[in-house]
Amino acid sequence: MSSIFADISQSEALRRGRRMLPPVVRGLFWAAIGFFIVNTLVSEVLDRTPLAPYVTKVSVTFGWTAATCGWLLGVGAWELVVKPYFGSPVEWDVPNDWRRYFMMSLDHKVVGIQYMVTSVAGFFIAGLAAMLMRFELMQGNLWTFPTPNAYLSTVGIHGTIMMFSFGTVMLVGGFGNYLIPLMIGSNSSAFPRVSAISQWLLPVGIVTVALSPILGTWTTGWRGYAPLAEQDPNGIVFYYLGVFAMTTSSLLVSINLTATILFQRAKGLTWNRIPMYAWGILAASLLNIIWLPEIQMTFILALLNNIVPLPMFSQIGTPLTYMEVFWLFGHPEVYIVVVPAFALWQEILPVMGQKTLFARSWGVLGLVFVMMFSGLVWAHHMFTNMRNDQMLPFSFFTEMISIPTGFAFLVSLGTVWKSRLRLTTPTLLVFMSMFNFLIGGVTGVMLADPVINLQTHDTFFVVGHFHYTIIGAMVFSFMAAAYYWLPRFSGRMYNEFWGKVGAIWVFIAFNAVFGQFLLIGLRGMNRWVPVYPKYLQNMNFEISLFAFLLGLGFLFNLVYYIWVWRYGKRVDANPWSAKTLEWQSTSAPGETNFDPPVQVLMGFYDYSDERPVCKPTSPAEVS
Amino acid sequence: MSDTPASRPTPRRNPEWSKTLFAVVFILVVIAAIVALFWQRQIGDAWSRMFGTERVQTGTTHIEQYDYGFHPRHITWRVGDKVTISLHNASATHWHEMMIGRGFDDTPYVVGPVHTQFDQDFWDGVHVTMSHAFKVDNFVPNKAIVTFVGQKPFTTEGGNFSPTLEPGGSLDLTFTVPNKPGTWQYGCFVQQFMHYVAGMHGTITILPAKT
Amino acid sequence: MIDLVVFTVLWVSVSLLFEWIFHTLVHYGVYYYTATTQAVDGEHAVAFILYVLAPVIAFVVLMLVYDLIRFRARKSDGVLRSRHQFRTNKLFIGIWVLISIGLNLLFFVHPSASALEQMFNSEQARLNRQDLEVDVVARQWQWFFSYPQYGIDDAQDANGNSILYLPVNRNIKFVLRSYDPFHTYAPYSGVIHGFWIPAFGLKQDIIPGETRYMYVHTSKVTSYNVNPMVRVQCTEVCGPGHPFMVAPVNVVSGNDFQQWVNQQKKMEGQ
Ligand code: HEM
Ligand SMILES: [Cu+2]
Ligand SMILES: [Cu+2]
Ligand SMILES: [Cu+2]
Repeated sequence: MSSIFADISQSEALRRGRRMLPPVVRGLFWAAIGFFIVNTLVSEVLDRTPLAPYVTKVSVTFGWTAATCGWLLGVGAWELVVKPYFGSPVEWDVPNDWRRYFMMSLDHKVVGIQYMVTSVAGFFIAGLAAMLMRFELMQGNLWTFPTPNAYLSTVGIHGTIMMFSFGTVMLVGGFGNYLIPLMIGSNSSAFPRVSAISQWLLPVGIVTVALSPILGTWTTGWRGYAPLAEQDPNGIVFYYLGVFAMTTSSLLVSINLTATILFQRAKGLTWNRIPMYAWGILAASLLNIIWLPEIQMTFILALLNNIVPLPMFSQIGTPLTYMEVFWLFGHPEVYIVVVPAFALWQEILPVMGQKTLFARSWGVLGLVFVMMFSGLVWAHHMFTNMRNDQMLPFSFFTEMISIPTGFAFLVSLGTVWKSRLRLTTPTLLVFMSMFNFLIGGVTGVMLADPVINLQTHDTFFVVGHFHYTIIGAMVFSFMAAAYYWLPRFSGRMYNEFWGKVGAIWVFIAFNAVFGQFLLIGLRGMNRWVPVYPKYLQNMNFEISLFAFLLGLGFLFNLVYYIWVWRYGKRVDANPWSAKTLEWQSTSAPGETNFDPPVQVLMGFYDYSDERPVCKPTSPAEVS
Repeated sequence: MSDTPASRPTPRRNPEWSKTLFAVVFILVVIAAIVALFWQRQIGDAWSRMFGTERVQTGTTHIEQYDYGFHPRHITWRVGDKVTISLHNASATHWHEMMIGRGFDDTPYVVGPVHTQFDQDFWDGVHVTMSHAFKVDNFVPNKAIVTFVGQKPFTTEGGNFSPTLEPGGSLDLTFTVPNKPGTWQYGCFVQQFMHYVAGMHGTITILPAKT
Repeated sequence: MIDLVVFTVLWVSVSLLFEWIFHTLVHYGVYYYTATTQAVDGEHAVAFILYVLAPVIAFVVLMLVYDLIRFRARKSDGVLRSRHQFRTNKLFIGIWVLISIGLNLLFFVHPSASALEQMFNSEQARLNRQDLEVDVVARQWQWFFSYPQYGIDDAQDANGNSILYLPVNRNIKFVLRSYDPFHTYAPYSGVIHGFWIPAFGLKQDIIPGETRYMYVHTSKVTSYNVNPMVRVQCTEVCGPGHPFMVAPVNVVSGNDFQQWVNQQKKMEGQ
């Protein structure tokens, strides 16, 4: 495959020397044109108001939409989607070098890497916001931010970008796009164009939310909740638009990955052989497909509420409606984040212990039941504002959902028992992730108790709890996966010493920060406050120091990771002796995974069986 | 890539696009975004210093109130000029006021003292004409000498001179700039003094009279 | 077999260690500072969950540590695969599933349902005839406290800041509303606020257009100056002024309360 690209670049066009515009530059340019034309049309012609500025809430909504379309067309959708749709031949030649990452691509591995990089960029942008927040919180008065609204916008930006561009995306759009087709023995995802478009929507969302304060500060936090949102300054419009872009991105990816897992599996990869990670991605994708449209409709109503206005959540509705529909999605959202992480434990541990996966069916059952129950528990976010008679049912379901959640522990612990555990960085990170999620789970059981919840709700106890589940479980598992698959991605191996330094550094700093979040919450520190009573200052100051250490820890891992990717020691294919299919192929981005296609002969997690897991199909069988 | 669509056999363009152009544009856009995000205010101020209201205003100065700020944030007047403030509340949801003064009155508060109003009221003893009052929530004349043209808004007592406008409200204040040169502030302290904290303030430079 | 025995012995001891740690925590006060019976109930709930979960936490933590040490592959071992390959263990899975169902049912019955039952009881109208009623109005960004039974419209301290005074050992009924009494024309000004007094152990959101209630029984004489957790704090983000929605609370003896009432009435009378 790669050779085709190389040939093209040597062809006649090269001699004629007409170079194409860099797609990203063209995308930015078309976006700017789109914005300028449509915004002018709306604010100066169609919806002209005297004395109003050039960019109004209404005009920016339409202008942004045009800009997003311009951007998508510019980075490649024009040649890859629009023109072929009308019958022209595709004229989109992806050079076989780094350039392929900066243009629309149909290769699932390229898309996966694009997603990972964008998502990590989102993580560090939002992390920077967190550092700014912790800086402000070192003192009980305003000193870093000029206004409380600036601080609150930062909280919102942090939460929004973390959740919608990292938590929901990294393991699904990133690792999912790269690995799922490989793991199920396919050469591509089901709808390559869908993933290509969805990847390029993600940076739009991140940038829109990150730049929202240019339009005006907003104070609602990551929920964007009405009725407060309807009186927020205009930045809130960018929140809705940005989140819309990011959720659309996740929705499209999920549709693609679901279809891929359902229909693209290799011969012999029967349902009871589907890899654990694919199960996790399937469960998370189904959650996305069920719940994202729901929240997107809500965001659209809230946006209309702001720009029309359409007082859906005050006069003609009720103020709680938004919260209800937000959490109806919001709780499944946390499972979207954490289910792939559970799957990673069950993917990595059998390999590292070289031992058959324990109670596999219970592991799958756990993932699927968590997925099915996740819609029954949302109102545990609303114990402080629900009717008394709603409390017990929601408390009940919330407590019960910890049973299938616990199966992830059952499977993982059973697998490592009497294994021959290689104490590698991924193993260590998975263990840390399990420890952290244990704390997240114990605090979760407490929060499910209404009487305790009434005290801890909206305090730093809750903030500590959900960072334990999200960073503690998802980010640590993500790091484990990143080190685990590093040899697959780059053909190079990290150094165990430095990998472990990175893991332990992050683990200690993380627990120091968020363990104390739990305590300071109980001590009376509530959420969304840049200004707080003096007695909380010492503890906040010290938490902030650890938070900076944590930020540096993530940075260290990033730098080390990139370094290994480029300069690390070369390593053979399949250094962990794993059985899953992604290790049976050495295809780099741009290359075909399985040529000829493979046939799967047995499950991937049985280490008592020494026979090969797959064999190439003979040409006759392909037909 | 099993379903790579049929491509044109020889491309008409060289796909090896320029890295320099890409890098330059990309970096410029990133820098522009960062500058816009963190130094928006400073840039706006510099702009108005050069082209806008930083230059001496005569006649009517339009002041827009929004959530939570004033536009413009800087005004320059000269002592002895006859000027008009045309105040308009552009917010759809909040009422806003406009005080002008110097220094602060502070009240002790649980999380540290808060500014409740300006200490020295610019309007003390100033003759001012209020006209075109529309949707005025309330008006406190304090020690100004006020002439009303047209509808007289609801007036009340307490605190500095301040008209408070309902969402969409507006009014004009016409007066001769009194001999109080120097730097003054304007601000809005409504909703338990929080609009000021939220950034709703600006500065006025009053130049001494031309000799 | 030897692993099982060693692990069990260790597990029992680590469980005891955790019980001891949690006991110390509870002794010190997981809620840091409590001033109502409701807060004490909440603290009991936390304590119960911690005590019951101690062996579970110990099990998982110990398992992680034990696995890391005991089953670690040595570099010198030539053989890669583990000698023990099993897919399932019906006994272990059975116990695990039963215990996790049992524990969750237990927690649902106690403390969730039982403590909630107590809370609902304290809200029964027939049990609350003697309650002190405090009307709480939240607006952006200020609290107003009024005492209809005493004719106090707006309780304030000498600086004009809102302040909450409560008698000790009384049932208090807070009536919670969110609106702006001075700007009733502003349709959007009602947003959600949260009424929380950290030392009181519970909070309620205040929703525009709804009247909600919160009941407490004060149990000790205290004040913001004694412990800053005795303060009203808005907990639901409500705009830029949200962090400033704080008001000090004083819980005083019956006599002092009466005195304060008289003083307030005099102040308002002027
Ligand atoms: C780098 C380490 C991190 C630090 C130091 C940190 C710190 C914080 C702080 C101080 C808050 C504000 C709490 C409040 O006042 O309500 C917050 C909120 C939040 N964080 Fe993080 N965080 C980190 C990483 C993450 C990650 C990785 C995620 C998710 C993937 C995340 C998701 C959230 C969310 C959803 C909120 C709520 C925002 C809101 O209230 O609207 N954080 N974080
Ligand atoms: Cu939830
Ligand atoms: Cu204002
Ligand atoms: Cu509030």
